[in-house]
Amino acid sequence: MTRYIIERIVAMLLTLFIIVTIAFCVVRLMPGSVYDNPELPQKVLDALEARDHLNEPILVQYGYFLKGVVLEGDWGTSIKVEPSVPAFDVLTKRIPITLEINIYSLLLSLPLGIICGTIAALRKNKLSDHIISAMVVLFISVPSFVFASLMQYFLSFKLNLFPIVYESSAVGWMRFSSMCLPIMALAFGPIATVTRYLRGELVETVNSEFMTLAKTKGLNQVQATVRHAFRNSCLPLANVIIPMFTNILGGSLVIEQIFSIPGVGGLMVKSINANDHPLTVAILIFYSIVSLLTILLVDLSYGIIDPRIRLEGK
Amino acid sequence: MNIVDKNNMPDFPKEKFVFVQQDTAIKDERFETKPIGFFKDAMIRFRKNKASVTAIVIILCIAFISIFGPSFNAYGFNDQDVTRTNLPPRIPVLENFGIADGTRILTNRRVDNLEDTKKYPEGSIIEVFNRRTEKRVEMCDVKINAYVQNGCPDDYFWLGTDYLGRDLWTRMCRGSRVSLMIAILSVLANIVIGIIYGAIAGYYGGKVDMVMMRICEIVGAFPQVVVATLFIMFFGTGIFSIVMALIIRGWISTARMIRSQFLRFKNREYVLAARTLGVKDSALIFRHILPNSIGPIITKAMIEVPGAIFSESFLAFIGLGLQAPEPSIGVLLSEGQKVLLHYPSQTLFPALLISILMISFNLFSNGLRDAFDPTMRGID
Repeated sequence: MTRYIIERIVAMLLTLFIIVTIAFCVVRLMPGSVYDNPELPQKVLDALEARDHLNEPILVQYGYFLKGVVLEGDWGTSIKVEPSVPAFDVLTKRIPITLEINIYSLLLSLPLGIICGTIAALRKNKLSDHIISAMVVLFISVPSFVFASLMQYFLSFKLNLFPIVYESSAVGWMRFSSMCLPIMALAFGPIATVTRYLRGELVETVNSEFMTLAKTKGLNQVQATVRHAFRNSCLPLANVIIPMFTNILGGSLVIEQIFSIPGVGGLMVKSINANDHPLTVAILIFYSIVSLLTILLVDLSYGIIDPRIRLEGK
Repeated sequence: MNIVDKNNMPDFPKEKFVFVQQDTAIKDERFETKPIGFFKDAMIRFRKNKASVTAIVIILCIAFISIFGPSFNAYGFNDQDVTRTNLPPRIPVLENFGIADGTRILTNRRVDNLEDTKKYPEGSIIEVFNRRTEKRVEMCDVKINAYVQNGCPDDYFWLGTDYLGRDLWTRMCRGSRVSLMIAILSVLANIVIGIIYGAIAGYYGGKVDMVMMRICEIVGAFPQVVVATLFIMFFGTGIFSIVMALIIRGWISTARMIRSQFLRFKNREYVLAARTLGVKDSALIFRHILPNSIGPIITKAMIEVPGAIFSESFLAFIGLGLQAPEPSIGVLLSEGQKVLLHYPSQTLFPALLISILMISFNLFSNGLRDAFDPTMRGID
């Protein structure tokens, strides 16, 4: 197991290295210079470029960049979005906001999804199952930003239940109520996904022999499902839930834009639009690390949740 | 039981030997039923699924409107007219019932302005209500006919107009055409690339497979948003670059699926037999093994269409959509979002369209999956 993990991590680092290389080259080769303020004299621009090694060949630049990241933990300095703030600090300042909203939305969606999925499986082909299935199709199909727009108009503007946009300066209840809409908009998709998966898995396990055994022991349908069938359904569910947990770091760009949340999501578009190359590369690395970690976690979780699956293969 | 000795057989007279049947030839009975092929079988199962049939009808309707809709009225998708901006919807017959009658309620207006025919031309005011006095100024809410107010009482914009006075119906039809086109193009390309890549990886296996799957992993580790953004920044906005941005990562899941199908089928006896007969690798891949996965491929393609539509509108929403005058559902949605609180209809109609489209495609692909692979039925 340990050997497998180490192997995977080494492979992951290799992948990460390739990604970082590609990302760095693509971003640096993009048209437009980092320093393009027409009011600055050419001399200053040249001096600035020389300071950041921008006038040297791309490979040399890459060498400097790698040296900075690996040896000094220096991810470059943001130039335009937040001038002369280290890119790492720009990111870490925004992560908590995204994290907060997304964790709330997961806290809302996971239990709801699990409950709905279990109900649907227990009452298969009955009215409540059909209602839940219809809900699942609706939530999976309709994009989150459509929900966000509609809720913003009807709930905030017409009914005045919640603030229209996120208020970062508010505290206590006001702050939470301004987070309600983004939380809900982000929760619909995960609710539907969890429900759909859990129902599918439970429906399959409910007919297996150990369930018959559990029922002959005297458990009723609900007890047997919750105690025995549910465990068996955890494996595919982990496959869905773990990416949700790691994806929250990426945030949802559109939702953050609609509710003007100063999170990670909008930062990337902003930095690309502003030609803020060091920040863009830092964000790209951040996103890649998150998504690589997700893949690793999902693979490792197989072995932990279900020891029957041998990770070493062959 | 007595055994007859071969050498002293009892004597059977020749007359005892009679043909069982002499007049008609012996034949197997002809099948009463017709043979049912794979696709026909799937069609029969598909037709039983009412939701999916409804979904395909709706999809066809939207496709029809997206092709012919813009010619239903006289307005072009880029006919700008600043005198008729942000008009509410107005539909010829329905307006008599009070729905979509081109009226709008203006709140907090000064009563003494109501007589001003420059602001409110004759006949534009339909109802004045909620009169009140605030800070010694008489205020009221007015229900007006926006078309009369803007000086175009004979125009009918079915879904209203946007901030440049462009007809939303025409733009929405054209937008859904563009969105569908982007979705279909990208899905087609994804499927073709995925099939070839997955087939090669799965068929040859070993080192080839390992290297190809590592490449998949690396490409897959790039977040979709990041790839799409970089790509569009690099190649500029336009249908081509959006399609390409969707392809870059989109083919991976198809390739994985095809690969696993190949791993399943490539060691079957019939493949071995074909290979022994000297069939070439390419023929083995495409004629012998690939047809096994035709069902999953079609289903996969249909599942990916709504995803592509979503991605397109998502990109439009973060400002990476199509170039200005060209509409797509995403562009319309993000334009509507900017004026959401004042003119909700500009968001509502594109939102409804994309929701209906996505729901239909999801139901349709569910039905297809059930039809092609009945064992998956009911696993939503």
